[in-house]
Amino acid sequence: MSPTVKRQLWAILGLAVAVLALMAFLQSDYFELVLTQVLLWAMMSVAWNILCGYSGYFSFGHAAFWGLGAYTVALGLIHLDLSPWLTIPASAVVGGLAGALIGFPTFRLRGHYFALAMLAYPLASLYVFQWLGYQEIPLPMKREAPILYMQFADQRAYVALALGLLVITLLISLSVENSRFGMSLFAIKQNEPAAEAAGIDTWRWKMLALMLSGALAAMAGGLYAVVLLVVTPEAVFGMLVSAQALILALFGGVGSLWGPVIGATVLVPLAEGLNAKLGDVLPGIQGVVYGIAIIAIILLAPEGVYWRIRDRLAGLLPELAPMPTPGATIPAVPRAAPSPTAGKDLLVLRNVGISFGGLRALDGVDLSVPEGGLYGIIGPNGAGKTTLFNVINGFLSPERGNITFVNESLVGLRPNQVCRKGIGRTFQVVRAFTRMTVLENVTVGAFVGAADAAAARHMAATALDRVGLGARANALAGGLTNRELRLMELARALAPQPRLVLLDETLAGLGHDDLDGILGAIRQVRAEGVTVLIIEHTMQAMVQLVDHFDVLDHGRLIASGTPETVVRNSEVIEAYLGKKWAEQVAVAVK
Amino acid sequence: MTHQMTRRSVAKGLAVSAAALALPAIGRAQAKSVKIAMIAPMSGPWARQGQLLRMGADLAVEDTNARGGIKSLGGAKLSIVYADAGDSTEKAKNAAQRLVADNPDLVGGFGSWLSSFTLAVTEVTERAQIPWLTLSYSDAITNRGFKFVFQTSPTAEWQAAQTVPTALDLAQSATGKRPTTVGLIMDNTAAPTSFAKPLREGGFEKAGLKLVVDQIYTPPLSDATPLIEKVRSAKPGFLLLLTSAMPDCKLVLEKLDEFKLSHGKLPLVGNGAPFGSPELLKTIGPELLEGMLFSVANWPMKGQEEFIERFKKKTGEPFLTQDGLCGYGHPAILAEGLEASGAADKIKVAEAIRAMNLTTGPAAQCFPGPIKFDEKGRRIGVPMIFAQWQKGVPVTVFPTDLALATPVWPSV
Repeated sequence: MSPTVKRQLWAILGLAVAVLALMAFLQSDYFELVLTQVLLWAMMSVAWNILCGYSGYFSFGHAAFWGLGAYTVALGLIHLDLSPWLTIPASAVVGGLAGALIGFPTFRLRGHYFALAMLAYPLASLYVFQWLGYQEIPLPMKREAPILYMQFADQRAYVALALGLLVITLLISLSVENSRFGMSLFAIKQNEPAAEAAGIDTWRWKMLALMLSGALAAMAGGLYAVVLLVVTPEAVFGMLVSAQALILALFGGVGSLWGPVIGATVLVPLAEGLNAKLGDVLPGIQGVVYGIAIIAIILLAPEGVYWRIRDRLAGLLPELAPMPTPGATIPAVPRAAPSPTAGKDLLVLRNVGISFGGLRALDGVDLSVPEGGLYGIIGPNGAGKTTLFNVINGFLSPERGNITFVNESLVGLRPNQVCRKGIGRTFQVVRAFTRMTVLENVTVGAFVGAADAAAARHMAATALDRVGLGARANALAGGLTNRELRLMELARALAPQPRLVLLDETLAGLGHDDLDGILGAIRQVRAEGVTVLIIEHTMQAMVQLVDHFDVLDHGRLIASGTPETVVRNSEVIEAYLGKKWAEQVAVAVK
Repeated sequence: MTHQMTRRSVAKGLAVSAAALALPAIGRAQAKSVKIAMIAPMSGPWARQGQLLRMGADLAVEDTNARGGIKSLGGAKLSIVYADAGDSTEKAKNAAQRLVADNPDLVGGFGSWLSSFTLAVTEVTERAQIPWLTLSYSDAITNRGFKFVFQTSPTAEWQAAQTVPTALDLAQSATGKRPTTVGLIMDNTAAPTSFAKPLREGGFEKAGLKLVVDQIYTPPLSDATPLIEKVRSAKPGFLLLLTSAMPDCKLVLEKLDEFKLSHGKLPLVGNGAPFGSPELLKTIGPELLEGMLFSVANWPMKGQEEFIERFKKKTGEPFLTQDGLCGYGHPAILAEGLEASGAADKIKVAEAIRAMNLTTGPAAQCFPGPIKFDEKGRRIGVPMIFAQWQKGVPVTVFPTDLALATPVWPSV
């Protein structure tokens, strides 16, 4: 267990002790009710954060889960005489299933579209439950066996129940945060295509996050029904519920374990206190004060209270939480001797074509890359080079033709599946996970080939050493130079130990000195037995690097051969410099 | 006035504490006051209704104390605390819990207007054994086997069952004829749907009515023309109008006017106090509303003329409605309960209300029928009230012995 996790566990224990102490100290049913609500809303917001904070997929519709949980408990009690002791866990199942049903269509959307589409579910549920005749469902009072039905005279029992559920939710959230699951969600949040290309099955992790988030939110809604004793569609599916979950997390700090808890601890009692103090004196003013408080906090701490405090502390104590540099202690994995299949065709494209509207981006491309080769693809801007990579690694599906890798077809595979087959890639514009460290960035890529998180870290550290970036393992990716970013991306592609890497303009925009470092790293990779296919539009550096050129122009392969022959090819010169130049060169050669 | 009251009570409070410091035992015996509570939405979308309730309640407390307080308690003054139920069931429940925690000496209370709020609030007051009155008419409120909740409005199911037969009685008494056909225009929200369900399932037939127009729309209504065209060609004996949003109601009334069916040509019947609100008058205007009838749990009646004038003068409202009336009536019932029990004890007050059978007095005057509750906490022997818009004021027109004006039921 890492020291960070240990610290968080102590903090959760501290929270539980503090709540229990407060409970013993409070001698009023009213304060106990408010405390229960703080805990329930904190749980709701933590649940929201598991999907939205970690993966970046904001949901304006978490009331759907809360409401389904509340109705599961209420209807279970009324129609089936089921105790909330059973129906609250059952509501987790309902919430999880609802998450799957909702995620299936909704994850086709991204960003704001996803957030807005999520609005539809609680709204629709609200009308459905009204239509079903469930406008006002009071939970019947059980005078015979109240405890069996979770009905306590002592409000403290509800505090304890809500605390129990919150602690469970926090533990789940913590374990998500520190696992492959959380790391994958972080990667999705920062750059989904890069995550997908690094072998993360983004669809699967998003679905799991939504289901888990929905299950926990539904449990919170279930206990809320028991506490409130009346369930109405407006109260549990209303816009206020979804907004509350979101506001608490935004206020406290999105994407952090403690942000939602901070939000609930401050805002729920603040709103209630304002209602109590001002509600009957100047009705309505409580809402105004509440709104101003939120605006003030957002201005002072735009990312939320938690991150603000953390950044402050980090500023005061820069040496806080130093991480060991794994690169120094872990020996590089010796790569196996050249594969027995060396020299045989690894990647083969036959007659591959794809069009965008009327534009033929790729037009009957044939290409073979032998195992162990260092092949270059060149061509002017707009020749179809990046499209070629996108077709190989699964971002695009070719309309015609076939692509095989070690004699297996790649057509129709999603990028993460292509990655799993042993093909890594980098991007023309570096797609880094900027809020993660270099090591974490690379670890995300390593998960594909690793059995567990520790193995993945080990593989990531090894990959960093291979490209010579071991010393920067703990730096934040946001602070790297262009050269370091390129190397980091190379390491991320190499971490799962692929057989083939696709490098997309890795050399673009680099100065002369930087260039040498990168060229060295690429040669090293190749020397270790990895096949390399690299795109460039400038020829100079490539001539020194590769042993074979394929030239693309307007989506067609116009030349193929060793660097020496290709640079003399008149078609290539024409593609790069125009017909006039090609003629001049031809004359000069003569 | 409120300011003056506050100052007075502060002064009194100071006097009491001074006396208590000097002579504890005697001080307490002499300056007794009994505390009741009101929980109602005073902020948010239903704030206006809460304010109207509060205006009525202030008047009731004032009147009770002006008459010498609770006589069986040695003239103890009635005092009232208010709590804002806000805009959600959660806030309403919190308000109730806070009220109960802060005021262990409460002997009774009422509220909180919206039935879902009342359901949540009474979960708290029932456990605290506080006698609680409400004008909310959801059946669920008194279906839970609670002992301390008293519903002064007849329930929704009862109103749905009574509205159509009573409308026919009204037509008979006004014209000597009973209509034989009816039209129905309604939206598909909760209240109209549950109101119309028993009518469709045999209710109309039992009343000897044929449903000749049956139009359901999803609010908001964009154009009422197709609905009213159906009405014009089918010519029902009267039209049951169950809209829950004011703009929809306005569209229907405007279109009826355009088709020359308004101004009493086609009798219109609605249900619920919103059909008689000053807001409706402001939005739709007196001309279009003229002649519209609506059934309602409680509306200003004969014998309240003096009170109606006093309420209007004091509050500046154009007329008294169910809210102001019940705001006055609920504290009055609690005062009667205190008077009858002779003890500032919530359980005894609840017992007194359960045993109550009032036909005269300030409390009885506020409600149609006797103040008498069955074992569920529902009123017994209540007539269905009908009010009608006449010259910009909704006035009670039926039953005749409570009416302030004669109903107008045009023959079609």
